[in-house]
Amino acid sequence: MKLKSIRPAFVSFVLRYRVPFAILLGVLLVAYPWIVRNPYLLRVATNVGIAIILASSLNIIIGFSGLFSLGHAAFYGIGAYTSALLATRLGVPFWLGFPAAGIVAGLFGTFIGFATLRLRAVFLAFTTLGFGEITRIVILNWRDFTRGPLGIAGIPVPRLFGWSFTREANYYLILLLCAAVILFVYRIYHSRLGRALIAIREDETAARSMGINVFGYKILAFTIACTIAGLAGSFFAHFQRYVSADSFVADESFRIITMVALGGTGSITGPIVGAMILELFPEVFGFLAGYRQVIYGAVLITVIVLKPGGIVGVKGVFEKPRATRRSWIAQALLPRFNGGTR
Amino acid sequence: MAKRIVVGLLVLVAAAGGAFAAGQGERAAATDGDIHIALSAPITGDWSEYGIGFDRSARMAIDQINADGGVLGGRKFRLSVGDTEGNPQMGTTLAQRFTADRTIVAQIGPFASSTAMASQPIFDAEGMVQLSPTASHADFAGGSRWSFGIVGTQAGEGPFNARFAYEHLGLRRVAVLHLNNDFGIDSAYYFSKAFEELGGEIVETDFYFDGERDFTAVLTKLSRTNADGLYIVSFYNDGAAINLQRQRLGWDVQVLGTGSLYNEQLIALGGDSVEGVCTATVFYADDPDPRVRRYVEEFRSRYGVTPSFHAAVAYDAMMLLADAIERAGSTDRAAIRDALAETVDFEAVAGNVTFTPEGDAVKSYRRLVIYNGEFRLFDEVGLPRR
Repeated sequence: MKLKSIRPAFVSFVLRYRVPFAILLGVLLVAYPWIVRNPYLLRVATNVGIAIILASSLNIIIGFSGLFSLGHAAFYGIGAYTSALLATRLGVPFWLGFPAAGIVAGLFGTFIGFATLRLRAVFLAFTTLGFGEITRIVILNWRDFTRGPLGIAGIPVPRLFGWSFTREANYYLILLLCAAVILFVYRIYHSRLGRALIAIREDETAARSMGINVFGYKILAFTIACTIAGLAGSFFAHFQRYVSADSFVADESFRIITMVALGGTGSITGPIVGAMILELFPEVFGFLAGYRQVIYGAVLITVIVLKPGGIVGVKGVFEKPRATRRSWIAQALLPRFNGGTR
Repeated sequence: MAKRIVVGLLVLVAAAGGAFAAGQGERAAATDGDIHIALSAPITGDWSEYGIGFDRSARMAIDQINADGGVLGGRKFRLSVGDTEGNPQMGTTLAQRFTADRTIVAQIGPFASSTAMASQPIFDAEGMVQLSPTASHADFAGGSRWSFGIVGTQAGEGPFNARFAYEHLGLRRVAVLHLNNDFGIDSAYYFSKAFEELGGEIVETDFYFDGERDFTAVLTKLSRTNADGLYIVSFYNDGAAINLQRQRLGWDVQVLGTGSLYNEQLIALGGDSVEGVCTATVFYADDPDPRVRRYVEEFRSRYGVTPSFHAAVAYDAMMLLADAIERAGSTDRAAIRDALAETVDFEAVAGNVTFTPEGDAVKSYRRLVIYNGEFRLFDEVGLPRR
C-alpha cells in the first residue's frame, strides 16, 4: 500500500511509538465507561461501534470487490428482525438469535448475489436498491408476522448466566464485536480471498484470465458482508429493544455508504474513521440545528473533490478508473472497449 | 503500514472524542436557577414541518410562562432542543443525553411513535418524564409509567367519529381507507369497532402506503361497494389527493376523516372536491375560546402562519408540564411524574386533558365540516347543499 510522502508530524510521532500507543488506546477503550461515567457518551460510543461494523462490512463489497450495494440497511434490518422475532415470539436467547440473524441475512445476500453478480456491477446496485425497498415494504405489510408499522417492542436485553446486560456490558460486547470484525476484515484483506477480490476490482478480465473464479469470489464477499450486517442488526435489536421499519430505510443505506466513501474505500481504517465522523457529527454539531446539514454536505463535497478515495482510502468510489483516461461519456458509449466490465 | 495508520488515526479520534466528552462534563456542571426542559423533535428531515412547529410552540409557551412570572415563585424555564431527524436511533441517543443531564427535569417529544417507542426503555430506566405531544401508538403510554401521550388515542377519536358518522351524518354502510402505519391501523380498527357496535356495517377496508399518490385503483374498488360513506384515515395532503381522484371517478359519497385532515392545505389542495368533508378535531384555530385566541393570535404574529394541530399539542404539552411542576412544588423528576399523572381536566388549546391510569389523554373533540371552502363547526352550519 502506498503512503503519501507528506505526513503530518503528529502521525510520524505516533507511528514511531505505535506499540505503546496501541496499548494506551486499548486501555482507554476498555476504561472508557469508567472515564466518562456518562450513560449518554456510553450510548454514543455503542452507536459508533454499530456503525463501524456496518461500514466495515460494506467496505468488503465496495472497497475490496469494487461492487456497489445500495441496500445494506436491508440486511441489517433482516438481522435485527430475525433476532427480535426469535426473542419475542419464541423466547430464543440473544446468543442463539445472534448467529441466526447473521445466517438469515447471509442467505438473503447469497440469493441476491446469485441473481445479479453474473451481470455487470451496476445491476447489483439496482437490485440491492430494490431489495432494500422490498424489505421495508414487506416489514410494513406482513402485519401478522412482523407487526407491520407497530414495530417490535420489548425485545429482551442479552443475558448471561441469568445476569442481564447493563449499558457497560453492551459497550464491551460491541467493543469485542468491533475488534473481531476489524480483525476479520484485516485477515480477509491479507488472505488469498482478499487478493483475489482486489484483482477482480482492479481488472476483472485480467483476474479471470489468471484463473480466479470471479463469480464465486464475488458471491463469497457479498455473503460475508451481508452476514456481518445481520449480526450488527441483531446486536442493535437487543440494544435498542425496539425495532421498526423506520430504522432500515434507504437513507440508512446511504448513510453507511457515506461512511465508507468519506472515510476511505478499500482500506481497513477508512470505514472506521467514516463511521466515527458520521456518528459523532450530529452529536458534536447539534447546536447548529438546521445548518448542520449544510456543513455536512460541504464536508462531504470537499472530501470527494480533494480526496476522491476518502480520507484514508486507497481507491475511491468517485474516482475514475486509473487505467483509462477517456471521458465519462466515452466510457458510457463505448463499454466494450473497456473490456465490458465497468 | 496499514497498522500504523490505524494506530495514528484511532489516537486522533480518541483525542477528539475525549475533548468532546470533557465539553459534555462542563455543560452538565453549569447550573443556574432556571428549570431546563428538553424538546426532542425532527427539526430536520422528512418530518421537519412538524418538528419546527413543536419548536416554535414550545418556545412561545416558555416565553409566555416566563413573562407571566415563571413557576415555583419566579423560576424561569429554559429549553434544550435536540434534533431526532426523524430517525429512531438518533432519538434514543438524545433520550440518553437528556436523561444523563441532571439539570433537565422532563422531556417534551418526540414526534413519531417509532422514536417514542425506541427511547421508552431509556426513560423507564432513568426515571424521567417523556411527554409526547403526538405519539399515538397503542402501546406507548401504557408501556412505561414515565411515558405520557396527550394527542388522545384512537381509542377516543375512533368511537367519537363513529358516533358522528352514525348519529349525525346518518351513515349505515361505511368503507374505510387508511394509511398503513401504526396510526392508520389503530384509527381504522377503533372506528370500525365502534361503528359496528352502533349497528353500522363496515363494507370494505383497504389501505395505502405513505408516499402513494395514485388512489384510483383502490377508490374504484371501494366505490363498487354499496357504501353510503367513506372514512379516510390520512394526513391532509393524501386526503386532498384522495378526494380529487374520488371526484374525478364520479363517486359521490359522504366523506368523513380523522382529525389529521384538519389543515388549511386540505382545502387549498382539494378545492371543491373536499366540500362537505367532515372531520373531528381537538383543535380548531377559529375557536372563539379566549385561550385558543391568545395562542393562535400570538403564533400568527410571531411566525406569520396559522398553527397546525400538531403545533398546538406541543404548546399544550409545555403548558401542562409547567402546570405539573407548579403542582408538584418541586423540580424533582419523580414528583413531576406523579403530579402529571394526577392531571384532571387541564384546560388546553387542543382539547382539555385528563390522563388515564396508563398515561393516555382523554380529550374532548369538535365536529368540523368544510362548508363553502372553509372549516366550520358542524353543529353550527350542518352539511353544505350539494
